[in-house]
Amino acid sequence: MIFTAAASVLTGTVLSCFLALLPGLHIYNVMGLAALFLYSLHGTGIASMPEVYIPFMIGLVTGWSVLNTIPSVLLGAPDESAIFTVLPGQKYLMTGRGYEGTMMIGAGSLIGIFMLIFLMGPLAPKYLPVVRYVLNPHMHWILWVIITFILMTEWPKGGNRGPAGWRKFFDAWSTLSAGLLTFLLSGVLGFLLLYRTPVSIDNAFQNIMPAFAGLFAVPWCLLNAISGAKVPEQHLCDTLNINGDLLLRSGIAGGIGGGFAAFFPVVTGGIGGLLAGHATAQRDERVFMMSQGVSKVVYYTGALLLFFVPGLYLTRGGGAWIIKGLYAPRTPGDYCLALGSIALSGAVSFLLMSPLTKWTLKLMKKVDYRLISVFSLCIIIALVFSITGWTGLFVMAVGTGIGLIPVLFGSRRLNCLGVLLLPIACNMSGIGEPVAAFLRLL
Amino acid sequence: MKGIAHFISGVTVASFCPWAIEAAQNGNPSFFILGAVAGLLPDTVDFKFYRFFYHYDVSVEPDPLQLDPQPIADALAAAVSNAAETGRPVRVKLSTIKMSADNWRQYRVRIDSGAGEVRVQFGPVVSTGQVPQPDSLPMNRSVAVAKFSAPVRQSYEPGYTVDIFDGPGFMFKRNENGDVEVDFLPWHRSWSHSLTVGALLAGIASFWTWKAGAVVFGAYVLHVIEDQMGYMGSNWFFPFTEKRVPGFKMMHSGDAFPNFAGVWLCCLLIFWNVYAAIGNPLYHFSFFRFIMTAMVVPFAIFGLIRRLLIRADRRLPEMLSIDWNV
Repeated sequence: MIFTAAASVLTGTVLSCFLALLPGLHIYNVMGLAALFLYSLHGTGIASMPEVYIPFMIGLVTGWSVLNTIPSVLLGAPDESAIFTVLPGQKYLMTGRGYEGTMMIGAGSLIGIFMLIFLMGPLAPKYLPVVRYVLNPHMHWILWVIITFILMTEWPKGGNRGPAGWRKFFDAWSTLSAGLLTFLLSGVLGFLLLYRTPVSIDNAFQNIMPAFAGLFAVPWCLLNAISGAKVPEQHLCDTLNINGDLLLRSGIAGGIGGGFAAFFPVVTGGIGGLLAGHATAQRDERVFMMSQGVSKVVYYTGALLLFFVPGLYLTRGGGAWIIKGLYAPRTPGDYCLALGSIALSGAVSFLLMSPLTKWTLKLMKKVDYRLISVFSLCIIIALVFSITGWTGLFVMAVGTGIGLIPVLFGSRRLNCLGVLLLPIACNMSGIGEPVAAFLRLL
Repeated sequence: MKGIAHFISGVTVASFCPWAIEAAQNGNPSFFILGAVAGLLPDTVDFKFYRFFYHYDVSVEPDPLQLDPQPIADALAAAVSNAAETGRPVRVKLSTIKMSADNWRQYRVRIDSGAGEVRVQFGPVVSTGQVPQPDSLPMNRSVAVAKFSAPVRQSYEPGYTVDIFDGPGFMFKRNENGDVEVDFLPWHRSWSHSLTVGALLAGIASFWTWKAGAVVFGAYVLHVIEDQMGYMGSNWFFPFTEKRVPGFKMMHSGDAFPNFAGVWLCCLLIFWNVYAAIGNPLYHFSFFRFIMTAMVVPFAIFGLIRRLLIRADRRLPEMLSIDWNV
């Protein structure tokens, strides 16, 4: 059984290598398709063993969460959890240090894997059920408080020069207003998708996917495609300029952010990263980048691991929800299987990071950066169209319009998460339906 | 303290109010949101509203292409002398030097009251995260010196670093002894950071319910108290007092450890308050055991591991610092 599970993990991890390199493709979309395939197998009377598909799925998520750093940094097509790594990551890329930046975030991802195995592994079954028991009735206000924080802490980027007065004030508030508008419009889009989704019922599990693609991936691809930025010659370094202290600080910051995001509903890796970044006040760019690597892995893989924690009964993240439809973990053995799969997949993914990054850099030498962005855009459009049809493309276009606001005005792209935060916070507080009725969605 | 520390402190204040927890259990998050907003509000008022309307008499705009520190030193020294001679307050703004979307030229200013001079020196290009960029120090890093004649009293530190976003402002004002007082960021922590304004806002919130007023006042006051731990202090009783009460100088607002420890402690207190509100809890643990398990032991382990790692690295913790001669 161990060899079967190991083979499944490795298959999932290797597959995730290719999937991670496709910019804009989210692993949950692939997992959804895999689940559909398993359902159809069940329908034909062929039963598949959980020892095969669970490690496979874990391999997919773990491998992807480690390796999707490569397109995020080198090809500039981030998923939501990577929006903070992109800015410093792209700075590394534009100074010829794309390989170093990618490997630095990769080192953070490895720390994240260590934290999951050696910290969360033994401690989660003992402490997390208590935390869940205490906080469960309070999730709604925690979510509202997080929304308040996101909205209140955007920093005005303008208004730094000129005489005092309204002109200066409006200059400063252009970015802030753009951020608020983005959040509001995303929230309305979220309500629309939740209460009167135009996506067909057959693809309801991919309901939010076109909106996410539009809000996060498409604006970035468009910007790259039209910006005409020339990527300089990239240098491969032998060592990373980091030490144990930096790794430890990154681990703490990223672990807290990713762990928070994994545990609380709707809170994503990007939000976790924002909160941890503020809380730990780390200024060093290397700590920042590595902490985002930690946060990403802890968020995606940790959320999936929570599903297997004995006595916790917690389903967080798209991956866990997809697996929940197929299998319910019952024993500590399932938890050990999940931990072992994460360890194996995490180790293999990290080892694959360097060759895959080098391969991508070689590809970038041969193919124009803008062409890659256009190619990424085509993949995203094809994927959205194949799963959700013309309606999905329309939703994606609306999402793109909203997602372009922060890109154009220089406000936080995290505001686009209003698409999830606003409707779900309203629902959790019991005001979702009145708001939907006010918006004439009922 | 940093924004998140004030913010979570406000939430913590709300968690100490039984009515806030009860309302939250019934699906009403208002008190917690109020606490959070009030906790951050003093800084929001200053940084997002008031500072854009604050008038300066002199605005110093260094030339990014010709890095000459002398005009900056001269302008500050002249402002001190002018304030001493005329008795009228002189407000000076030092602008930042933006090099590109995410890069800024750093410079440092020292108002040395003992030597009676202002010294200015340019430094490296830093990112918006205030991290120096490699090989970005200017070729010529001469120190500009400009003398002033009047005695100067400073309530803040004598050295100021100018780098990202909006530059610092100063108000030079002659006091009754003839000394010129240096008021750093005169628009910050003045009227907005006062108990009276907190009470006023609490009064407004009390139109809804006195419970909301209590949360707002508690969160607002805690912000002022937390800021008092730093250097600048706050003007506690505006409009009855004009000046800020100097801070206790226990920490700088951007220090990582106190900020993180504060945020973590607040999270634990919120958790404890929520736990204590459960009538017949399934799990039982004491406050002492909780704090030991969730704060004391992890922090001790972190400190120990960090020490071992730094020792294993056989050098001091890496600092991204630049030598300054001001």
